[in-house]
Amino acid sequence: MNVDLVPALDAAGLPGPPWLFHFLLVFTFFLHLIFMNLTLGGTLMAFVANLKGGGRENDANTVFARRLMGVNTYAISLAITTGVAPLLFVQVLYQQYFYAGTILLGWIWFAMLVFLMIGYYAAYLHKKFRGGWLGLSAVMFFAIAMVHVAVHLVHVQPAKWQAFDGSAVSVLGDPTYWPRLLHFVLAAVTFAALVAAWWAVRRARAGADVELNTAIAASAWRWALWATVLQIVDGFLLVIVLPKPVLLGVMRGGLATLGPLTLGILLGIGLLVMLARTSSPVEQPGLVSGTLATLLLTVAIMSVTRHQVRVLYLDDFTSQFSATIAPQWGNFVLFAVLLVAGLATVFWMIRRVLTSPAEGEDAA
Amino acid sequence: MDYPIWNVAMGGGVLMAWVAITHVIVSHFAIGGGLVIVVTETLAVKRSDPELRELARRASLVLILVSTVFGAISGVGIWVVAGLISPGAISALIHTYVWGWAIEWVFFVLEIVAALVYYTTWDKISKGAHVLVGWLYFIGAYLSLVIINGIVTFMLTPGGWLESRAFWDGFFNPTYWPSLVLRTGICILMAVAFMLWSAYRAPVDRRPDLVRYLGWWFLGGALISYAGYRWWEAMLPDTVTALFLGDAPTLATLADTRSFALWSLTVALVVAVVALLAAPRLARGVTALVLMAAAFAFFGGYERLREGVRKPFLVHSHIFSNGLLVSQIETINRDGIAAHSGWVAAGDPSPEALGERIFRTQCSSCHTLDGYQGIRPVLPTVADMELVVSDGPGAGAVAYEAQCSPCHGDVEYEDMVGMLPTVDEIREDPDFIRELNLGMITMTVLELREMGEEITAFDPTTPFDMRELTHPTMPPFVGTDEEAEALAVYLASLDGAGAAAAARGGAQ
Repeated sequence: MNVDLVPALDAAGLPGPPWLFHFLLVFTFFLHLIFMNLTLGGTLMAFVANLKGGGRENDANTVFARRLMGVNTYAISLAITTGVAPLLFVQVLYQQYFYAGTILLGWIWFAMLVFLMIGYYAAYLHKKFRGGWLGLSAVMFFAIAMVHVAVHLVHVQPAKWQAFDGSAVSVLGDPTYWPRLLHFVLAAVTFAALVAAWWAVRRARAGADVELNTAIAASAWRWALWATVLQIVDGFLLVIVLPKPVLLGVMRGGLATLGPLTLGILLGIGLLVMLARTSSPVEQPGLVSGTLATLLLTVAIMSVTRHQVRVLYLDDFTSQFSATIAPQWGNFVLFAVLLVAGLATVFWMIRRVLTSPAEGEDAA
Repeated sequence: MDYPIWNVAMGGGVLMAWVAITHVIVSHFAIGGGLVIVVTETLAVKRSDPELRELARRASLVLILVSTVFGAISGVGIWVVAGLISPGAISALIHTYVWGWAIEWVFFVLEIVAALVYYTTWDKISKGAHVLVGWLYFIGAYLSLVIINGIVTFMLTPGGWLESRAFWDGFFNPTYWPSLVLRTGICILMAVAFMLWSAYRAPVDRRPDLVRYLGWWFLGGALISYAGYRWWEAMLPDTVTALFLGDAPTLATLADTRSFALWSLTVALVVAVVALLAAPRLARGVTALVLMAAAFAFFGGYERLREGVRKPFLVHSHIFSNGLLVSQIETINRDGIAAHSGWVAAGDPSPEALGERIFRTQCSSCHTLDGYQGIRPVLPTVADMELVVSDGPGAGAVAYEAQCSPCHGDVEYEDMVGMLPTVDEIREDPDFIRELNLGMITMTVLELREMGEEITAFDPTTPFDMRELTHPTMPPFVGTDEEAEALAVYLASLDGAGAAAAARGGAQ
């Protein structure tokens, strides 16, 4: 363990108690995951579905792909927007590790911006021109996932920084790298698939393109089922390959760490059971909504576990430092009030839009 | 100062400039575009003018494609690059203003959601609801400027924060309001520069009306920008304005930048009055290109000036651009930079290798080896010395004037040549010159360290007057005598035997 390589804590101190930033980091990361899952999982599935559809306009696969990319018109922007907040809070709490980790990866971390730009514009170009843009977009978003997993694993392992300094790509050889990456990718696919299934079931039940929506719902449901099967296997693999001190830390952490992990695993298994109970989701809309809600809860719980694992990875190092705390309560309250007001405005605006449909001359 | 260093051949500053310039242009367009587009749509609804509506509609496509994608990603890019090249500095800023940024994020969420809704609901919702969404977009976007403007201006003029360390003292600093006015004008300029292209796509008979309509916006934006700029200049402390104003500005290049920016605004104003207002039928693609170029040049010039006069600080009088806090100077001079940073301490302990790590830690945030602000070209070399003594009063005198006179202003060229060995003597024993060069470099490094001592003597609660210092645009060197020597050894080694031989060949 080489504590000397860990930079000093910021002299300005924390502008609030650590628990507040831990909470905000996890909460905003959870928000980010919702849209990131739609973006990554949706684009990967759309790519495959589009290939299967073979360009036939009314084929269920083609429509499924188009629908997923339609959602992405919003999801990509919102994934970036909601990603800003956890990026801010991680810099407050983990500046010593996060900056060092990103610097060790250097251009790889910077490349994330380029991948994002290409992936985003390729998604737009796909909507306009079709062709190979969707594949490019899917590859870019997958590459971004790879970069983020790399950044995470480098920044939480200061003991290996000297090795990463010599070869940043050696992070690909970290035993947890591929299981971790797969864990996120499979979750993204499951999430996007379930949202697509939920929407198709709603449309079918409302009598709109019943045959088409039934086919899309069934296809999306299968995606979610098989991704969850693989996720259960990969999840256990990820737990097994975690560094021993981290795993022991989880086990010895009592209810605080074992609670969320156990709940997350149980929810994952429950999800699998719910997904396996039907192959015809349109007939069981309650089950579909329940499954989507269960998945949302699982993602929230797993966000907590992911954060706890980071804390345990870094425990030997963070325990060497003691942050000064200089709370700015007034500014925090202002932020909280504006956050509530801002979100209320967003909901009010969306409600106003949904209740103001118009056509022809009356429309904007 | 205690982070690993990311080596970028082009220079981290250049990369940051590329990301930041594209971001500020796009982000200001996103704000100004929000205003001009929603006002345009509001007028279109009131006047039942379909062409005005189409102008807003077409421009909103550009707005969404450019601002929600490029603007958002390049905004994240600024944090990414800042974290890579100046981690200590951006950390200090974030720890001071995290709640400011968090508030800005709230407005950013409103801005992006409203932008997406605005663009996708044309022809689908009532006019009133659509205009409302447009106004919410503008409000979200402008309020994000209101917040980020406080943090950006704090960096140049921290004002009362230097004494009180209070959030709002730094936020509402002396240049906050002028900068907000200036940026508001710039937002409008950026918006019109982009929207002219949308106006050109209108039917021929309506085009002049729409061009003139945008011309009034441009004129307003230019006048607001000018007023904001002059107010901004007036609110800068004398210690800062002296760098680029007056008969003998300390930094002549920044004085040129100021002239460039103001002349660019003048050109933009004249072109707008002539081609957009007086004779809108004359407006063509080239008009829009000239206006875009002139508006970007003004904006770029102002940003360059703002960044330039802040040098060598990230936050004036508090933290240097390489992450060194003013409050750390004494401690690091006493204990050494290696005691402060594990990345400097780890590795080969030879002076040259240690010096290279010190260079990366303290100098590389501004200097590359051979690229932007390259250090190698400004170091004395054996080849330089040969040039000085070999060519009589021609190139030798020029080289002497350029490279030696800043330190040896009291010695005439001929007298210096008389004191130096001849070309043949240098070629016979180049190590003698290398020793001489090492001595000169060491003196400069020690001078930079002494500068640190002078800085610590300044009153930390008021803006520093850097003009009093020997190198007013550089951070001080910090470290022990041995570390200063190690840095000098490394810098001297950049004139390797091979490089010297090559340079000699070139000279011959």
